Amino acid sequence: MIVEPYVKNYLSEHYGDDAYRTLAGYEAAGGFAGLKKAVALPPEQVTDLVKASGLRGRGGAGFATGLKWSFMPKTNDRMKVIVVNGDESEPGSFKDRLIMERGPFEVLEGILIGAWAMGAQRTFIYVRGEYKEAIRALESAVKELYARKLLGKNILGKKGFEHDIVVHSGAGAYICGEETGLLESLEGKKGQPRKKPPFPAQHGAFGLPTTVNNVETFAHVPFILERGVEWFKSRGTDKSPGTTLFGVSGHVERPGLFELPLGTPLREVLGHAGGVRGGRRLKGVMPGGLSMPILPPTELEVPMAEEFLSQKGTHLGTGGVMVMDESVCMVRVATVVAYFFRDESCGQCTQCREGTAWVHKLCQKIEQGRGSAEDLALLDNVPSLMEGQTICAFADAAAWPIQGLLRHFRDDFEAHVREKKCPFPESFEL
Amino acid sequence: MPTLSVDGIDYEVPEGRTVLQAIDDLGLLMNGVEIPHYCWHPKLTIDGSCRLCQVEIEGMPKLQIACNTPVTNGMKVHTKSERVLSARRGVMELLLINHPLDCPICDQAGECKLQDYAFDWGVTSSRTREPRRPAKKSVDLGPTIVFDQERCILCRRCVRFCREVPKTGELGVFNRGDESLLELFPGSELDNPYSMNVADICPVGALTTRDFRFKVRVWFTDDVESVCNQCSRGCNIVASRSNNKIYRFVPRRNDAVNETWMCDHGRMSYKKNANFRLTAPSVDGHAATYTDAVKRAAELVRATRDGSGKIIGVASPFASNADLAAFRDLLARLGAGPARFSVPRAESDAILIEAEKAPNAAGCRALGMIESGDQLGRAELAIVLGHTTTAEVFGDVKNIVLIDTHESALSVRATVSLPARTFLEKSGTFTNSRGHVQDFSAVVEPAFEAWSEADALAQIAAAAGIS
Repeated sequence: MIVEPYVKNYLSEHYGDDAYRTLAGYEAAGGFAGLKKAVALPPEQVTDLVKASGLRGRGGAGFATGLKWSFMPKTNDRMKVIVVNGDESEPGSFKDRLIMERGPFEVLEGILIGAWAMGAQRTFIYVRGEYKEAIRALESAVKELYARKLLGKNILGKKGFEHDIVVHSGAGAYICGEETGLLESLEGKKGQPRKKPPFPAQHGAFGLPTTVNNVETFAHVPFILERGVEWFKSRGTDKSPGTTLFGVSGHVERPGLFELPLGTPLREVLGHAGGVRGGRRLKGVMPGGLSMPILPPTELEVPMAEEFLSQKGTHLGTGGVMVMDESVCMVRVATVVAYFFRDESCGQCTQCREGTAWVHKLCQKIEQGRGSAEDLALLDNVPSLMEGQTICAFADAAAWPIQGLLRHFRDDFEAHVREKKCPFPESFEL
Repeated sequence: MPTLSVDGIDYEVPEGRTVLQAIDDLGLLMNGVEIPHYCWHPKLTIDGSCRLCQVEIEGMPKLQIACNTPVTNGMKVHTKSERVLSARRGVMELLLINHPLDCPICDQAGECKLQDYAFDWGVTSSRTREPRRPAKKSVDLGPTIVFDQERCILCRRCVRFCREVPKTGELGVFNRGDESLLELFPGSELDNPYSMNVADICPVGALTTRDFRFKVRVWFTDDVESVCNQCSRGCNIVASRSNNKIYRFVPRRNDAVNETWMCDHGRMSYKKNANFRLTAPSVDGHAATYTDAVKRAAELVRATRDGSGKIIGVASPFASNADLAAFRDLLARLGAGPARFSVPRAESDAILIEAEKAPNAAGCRALGMIESGDQLGRAELAIVLGHTTTAEVFGDVKNIVLIDTHESALSVRATVSLPARTFLEKSGTFTNSRGHVQDFSAVVEPAFEAWSEADALAQIAAAAGIS
């Protein structure tokens, strides 16, 4: 079992220490100093601090956290809710699991700071169902907080500061990681994203004003409060401050997690992971999970932050870096990607339901050597019918990686069509 | 009131509406402003999933779905830009890759929104060579509805209808992605008093009514506007007619009366109107000519009036306002009191079905007629429109002149009976329980000679020499 990243920084500094998973150990390491600082400030000021820190959501979209918090109603006529997205369903992404397992109090302290800032009374932590250990760690931590009156009524002696936390086990679908699909699932319904408006800040979990943030996003918050905005901003880039846990997988010598400042060049991230396995040549890197377009080996100098990656036609996503060496057939990759999105589409929106299946059939056909030039032309076009037109970003996530593969590895596709077979016998099995 | 600009024309629209709702409120949707849509329905919650109603809104980088985008003052919407048309073509193409091209044998053909929109907004050729998704054919969902699953485009109108209107929730979409299928929940069947509405709102040939399926091609039918006569709600309907025969009733939208729905009982009542008709006049239990029947009725009227005998009028809540008014006027000239009437009653619900099982009790009341089921007492003559009153109340009445549409115990007992036209065979108005006076038009001609009640009364009056 992985207990700590290969490269550590402030978030993961104590992840190797079992005591850090207990309240006493967490406090001994300086825990809850951030919350104490927060409750000494008026709530709006806490939101302003988070805004000023430039913290961006770590769930994939990179939305400004402080700004999101400020969308919550300022009135207290309805209960306000925080939902923590611990579904971590993006293939290639495995950072939130470690944070929940090894640093549960970081997340809980972040939640309490958010609760103070937003005036929220209830939190639901939605954890991917397979993450049994994360659920156990969070439940045990929540229990300790209640015992120490850090949850419940009058937290830290603050009259009226009350908060309850429920740890909820997800029931397994990719789309339940989309924030409104998650809310539906949390309510016991089929996991299907909701149309917007209304947005969760007005009508979220159980119809209540809700803010949904990723696990890692909350884990950063106590450090910002404790050590200050300037300290936080001194890490990472101007537009993407702080560190993140890059999860590197695929054809590297040392796959795993690496806590590095945002903006670390891709080459350096791969270097920490020991480089490409067996001295082989690199063929491509998906920098942010399965739904983000692939980068060719010529882009290794790109700093791993959204503002730089978006210039290269891709995104930081969840920071799940997937490395592929020269043996890899990119048409097989496209087929795997397309199958995943076909299988996981919730099926509501026409473009996504029909488009993901069509794209998969085309990829499969080309990979099996049955594809024609017409099929390839269709594969160029069909993703564009899906992009930007649906209830949630799933259709984009399904279209982008295919477009990326076609952009950078068109030769692979054309070779399949020309030779009427897969020219990469060494590639992974489908 | 916010101003909404659609394709360069400004409209004042109600507050708090989405683009599609506002255009619908103005009566312009698909009637001047063409925004095709499948999942959106004016009387169901917004779903936002078919994505066909995407429009371009100035200041918004992405296309927006008109059904769910709230109107803001000064919003400028474009429905005909190349981006919009291209997105529409995309949706149509994607919907068609799994939809069978079986229009020649599909009963929805001719009133199919997939057919219509593909013709208007789609492309003329198919780019897919992949086999279509297999699914079930011709499955009974319950006693009224047949389901062709392979034609379903998953707009989920039927799912929302069952959840939101009868609140029975029999249907759901199961599985996900391109394996999504509309199905009944296990152990249930689609059997509620409003079940057949799902066939109306299904934009394609997936849900059809067992009753109408394969009976007639819709392009051979004319639609005639009428009003259902099965209860005092007076649901607005369209009767589909072909070769002087009615094939079905379907609800016609009236937001103040029945929204866009009707109950299955009312829908199937078109059959009732055709059977057990009174087809020929009779006098003293024997078939007679119209001339003889009218003559006999006139004699009875005159003799009773001259002999100062008692005349009683019995009206029918199934008669039209014009017929009731003629009856009231005749009774007044005869010196009789106000007509009596009675209304059949049964169960009601909180949706559409009213307890009064007749269309025009309010019309009777408005004309001063008296609701009573008591014995009529001793009388020389009763003039009766329809047979809603049971035969027993006529116990001590010597003669009965009956003008009626259907055979009954009373038509056997009547001294004179004259066949009348049903509401489907004449034009007129009914007044519903909320006081709406609603028009209906003649849909068919009776296969035998029959008059409206007003015409029959006029003939009798003329023959009796009553001006």
